[in-house]
Amino acid sequence: MKFVAFHLMPFRELPADFEETYPSVWVTPPKKLYDPKKGHRMYHDYLDELEFEVDLGFDAVGVNEHHSNAYGLMPSPNLMGAILSRKVRHSDQTSLIVLGNSLASYNPPIRVAEEMAMLDVLSGGKFIAGFPVGTSMDQNYAYGINPAELRERYYEAHDLIMKTWKTDEILTYNGKYNQFRYINPWPRPAQRPHPPVWIPGGGSVETYDFSITHNYSFSYLSYFGHKYAKKVMDPFWERNDELGADRNPYKAGYCQMICLSETDERAQIDYEGHVRYFFNKCLHVDRRVAEAPGYRTVKSLRAGLTSQFDGTQKSASRMLKDGMGWQDLIDHGFIVAGSPATVRDIMRESLQDMRVGNVVCLFHIGSMPHWLVQKNMQLFAEEVKPYLSDIYSEWDHSAYWPKGYAQEQEVEMTE
Amino acid sequence: MAQPSEQLIVANESVTFAVKVAGQGKPVVYLHGAGGLTWDPFLDELSNHYQVIAPQIPGTGNSSGLENIRDLWDLVLCYYDLFDGLGLDSATVIGHSLGGMIALELAASDQSRVKQIVAIAPTGLFKDEEPVPDLFAMLPDEVANIMVADTASPVAEMLRYMPRETEKRIEATIQRMQNMQAAAKFLWPIPDKGLGRRMHRIKAPTLLIWGQQDRFIPVSYAEDFCRGIIRSELVVIDQAAHLVTLEQTEQVLEAVKGFVGAYQDDAYGRVNG
Repeated sequence: MKFVAFHLMPFRELPADFEETYPSVWVTPPKKLYDPKKGHRMYHDYLDELEFEVDLGFDAVGVNEHHSNAYGLMPSPNLMGAILSRKVRHSDQTSLIVLGNSLASYNPPIRVAEEMAMLDVLSGGKFIAGFPVGTSMDQNYAYGINPAELRERYYEAHDLIMKTWKTDEILTYNGKYNQFRYINPWPRPAQRPHPPVWIPGGGSVETYDFSITHNYSFSYLSYFGHKYAKKVMDPFWERNDELGADRNPYKAGYCQMICLSETDERAQIDYEGHVRYFFNKCLHVDRRVAEAPGYRTVKSLRAGLTSQFDGTQKSASRMLKDGMGWQDLIDHGFIVAGSPATVRDIMRESLQDMRVGNVVCLFHIGSMPHWLVQKNMQLFAEEVKPYLSDIYSEWDHSAYWPKGYAQEQEVEMTE
Repeated sequence: MAQPSEQLIVANESVTFAVKVAGQGKPVVYLHGAGGLTWDPFLDELSNHYQVIAPQIPGTGNSSGLENIRDLWDLVLCYYDLFDGLGLDSATVIGHSLGGMIALELAASDQSRVKQIVAIAPTGLFKDEEPVPDLFAMLPDEVANIMVADTASPVAEMLRYMPRETEKRIEATIQRMQNMQAAAKFLWPIPDKGLGRRMHRIKAPTLLIWGQQDRFIPVSYAEDFCRGIIRSELVVIDQAAHLVTLEQTEQVLEAVKGFVGAYQDDAYGRVNG
């Protein structure tokens, strides 16, 4: 079992009336709400937290990309990755994952091949490359990419990056959106032929197929926890079996908010306000800018509308709007919260049930102060993780996790 | 209401148009707006006077191949191919909103293919001081309300209509999304794709029709089009907004008939000859 300590880097101090006064946390949150002095403190607290996670021996530390977003203050996750690489390089347990770069918005896309190769070299071959399509808020509304072109641009960028990573030849590329005479990015990655690739995404068949056929690791990154993830992981494994692929659990991951205290009661006292801050403010997204026409394929749209209109499946956001108590949040799996024993039990069961080898753990939630994040992470690393590490230990994770410097380079260095 | 017939015209190897046809007389091509093609009372009236030929933009209705069209230039070429398929050397084109922009682009790119243009509140220009609102960031009811002068009118109600039955509701929502998706392909994120730099090339007589209360593309845009297009005239209709053809059908029809009838088929050649 592998645990990624993941950070969104939210703005911790949105006003109490944020969700009543402002239309959206994403795309249109007023910039005047961002105080750079507070932002300075937050960035460094968050980096300290991620560095502490390296000390605690997590399997990876991870960051991601958002734009015009008050709960995700990393328009450039690679900058944060660069800082973290300085510590990761000394660790014999912890890898670095950027989950990831939204490929369609990098122009030219080989910029991703370059920067990720830099991170791979900086970290000493301990880098995992995440390739999300990106949300409609980020890609279409904040970055202006035509929704009709988004997925094509994504697939073309992916093609370009993987082609250049897999060869030392200078390439020419005549694509629909990209034309190059000379593709020859320096540096090349430390891992050969390239860092492991993870695909964060929602539950669409297109994404499953893409991930499974390329043998990438698929991560379902929702904020609604293990019971929702189960609804995505089941069809993922079904599709995996249909395609005749092996059932290696490390080709699947999901995101979970975790709240650990000494006791179950204490966890509610410690975390409830911060969890509510996250669900009320950080998920306050204006419907107007939530999905551009053409962002989803008609197939995905029809599936989504069917469950929305026929009332069989109440959406997570609907449940939140209707009001959920602390115990509801736990019962529905949105959060895993309580004493180490409680968290161990819930996670052992759900991880086996879902067949996921990777958990993208959120230890910082909403408005949590630095000390509480440290407590949360430390309790997990010491009281939970060691008791779950045996799960799926019989499987080989090496296709989905970093392998360090390529053999040929080691030979060169010893000569 | 006369039911139009539907023909499938293969424009080229990657795009096929579904074309609705009704009426007798001089052929006029009608290009619909971002809301998709509905055989509405305006088209019905129009088909009492002309043969109305109304293609659906690829990706909507039974028209296909949107994914094969790269950009606006490609789209324009597809319409010329469609004209070939329809046997139209040079056509009278009426276009509303997005369709108005396409009509003007067709006339600017190849001056021989468009005889006359009626552009009803066309998209295609964008002014920083009076920006066109973001059609793709509006809730369905907001779209309905901004498009009409009177939000309590039957036209507004028709726009807001959504079937109750689940199956129909899903299909209606998907259809609306497909219409918007096709429109977004050529209008995202700002509905200015360079027509302002090309419109001086439009030599065909052009009638611009605008609703006085248009809050989507304000009437000041009409003046910019008038200034930019050499042989243009403008009719502004009161008590109407962006959906002027439905809000003041009679007045629009009169303006169209007066304009289309005023130019005989050889007028274009004579003026330029």
